[in-house]
Amino acid sequence: MKTDNENKVIIFDASTLISFAMNGLFEEFKNLKKIFKGKFIITKDVKREIIDKPITIKRFKLEALKLKQLVDEKILEMPDSLGVTDKEISDKCNEILSIANNTFSGRGENIKIVSVGEISCLGLSKILNEKGVRNVVAVDERTTRMLGEKPESLEKLLRKKLHTKIISKKENFKFFRGFNFVRSSELIYIAYKKKLIELKNGMVLDALLWALKYKGCAISGDEIEEIKKLK
Amino acid sequence: MKEIENILGIFEATKLAIKDGDSIKLKELSDKTIHDASISQDSNSVAVAVVIYSLSKIVERKRYQKYPGWEKFKKTIITAIDNSIVALKKNDDEMFKKKLELIRNSISKLSGKLKKYIQEVFRRASINKASRIYEHGISMEKTAKLLGITMWELANYAGQTGISDVPLGKTLDVKSRIKLAEEIFS
Repeated sequence: MKTDNENKVIIFDASTLISFAMNGLFEEFKNLKKIFKGKFIITKDVKREIIDKPITIKRFKLEALKLKQLVDEKILEMPDSLGVTDKEISDKCNEILSIANNTFSGRGENIKIVSVGEISCLGLSKILNEKGVRNVVAVDERTTRMLGEKPESLEKLLRKKLHTKIISKKENFKFFRGFNFVRSSELIYIAYKKKLIELKNGMVLDALLWALKYKGCAISGDEIEEIKKLK
Repeated sequence: MKEIENILGIFEATKLAIKDGDSIKLKELSDKTIHDASISQDSNSVAVAVVIYSLSKIVERKRYQKYPGWEKFKKTIITAIDNSIVALKKNDDEMFKKKLELIRNSISKLSGKLKKYIQEVFRRASINKASRIYEHGISMEKTAKLLGITMWELANYAGQTGISDVPLGKTLDVKSRIKLAEEIFS
């Protein structure tokens, strides 16, 4: 019987795994899993974005193969390892996707802001919350995180960038509460603090955080400076 | 209908800008299309945004005009735009799609370095427009699918822009998020 502490889950979105993979941070990722008392999970929709599709593209084939190896070695596992079926995720995902993509509208049209991979992570997180399994969603892309943590800021962003009036169904906002988000930047900070980074240099945390940012992790330069002060 | 009118106006202006070699005007027109593409996400708006941005880059690079095949390429593009305008006026969506395709396919008739350069311009234009749509608040995966590129290409490109530095994107203070990560690893 596993204790609650051994029953934790990190659900990975494709964006976070892409940041790790494009920086070649596979060893660091494996080391993080070694100290984690729980499972690293990807949904089948995320697997498609990080393995099945890129494995057919010469430019990203190597990274996709390395990510596949993480799955083969069970460092990354599928939701069935938690007793959650694809059907459960798909049903929950459709529900969330429909609400998310009908929350903001402009010029009389609903703005479709998110896609199935990102939302499958939220779907799984909701299912695990209902089962009492402690979990966080690792997502590097900005929109999903904004929807979950500050949908009013997403509304402002849409209005500012699209130069049009945005109407929000504010009653939908509460539906996106209750998720916990981290990014590759926080995960690499943990790896650094736990001395899991092989490269020994006083500048290494700075280098890692900027490398992740340059490969798509939605973290600002100011946030990087703040993280460095915490070390 | 409003989208058709928008695209029609943009294409009329595009034709003039190509004839005048006005890359700045083309860039402005491309920027206009991206707002429409972000909201409607219909394939025509997205394709128009990519095509006009590509044309702005092609016209901007004066050296392309010295390569053999340039005049023929320019003529093909203008004819395709004319035909696209006719299709739009007739409200013939299928024909419009075909004419848009013709603009992209005209690259295959080029040869040598010009073909290679222009192919690359179109590829990069898709990634650039994807980055702009992501910047507008549409998620990375949604945007990548819309533009027919991979999340990998988009992440790599978007990471080198200032998108992550927009203050509205900060949704939780640094200490709280680090605490979340520390707790899950405790």
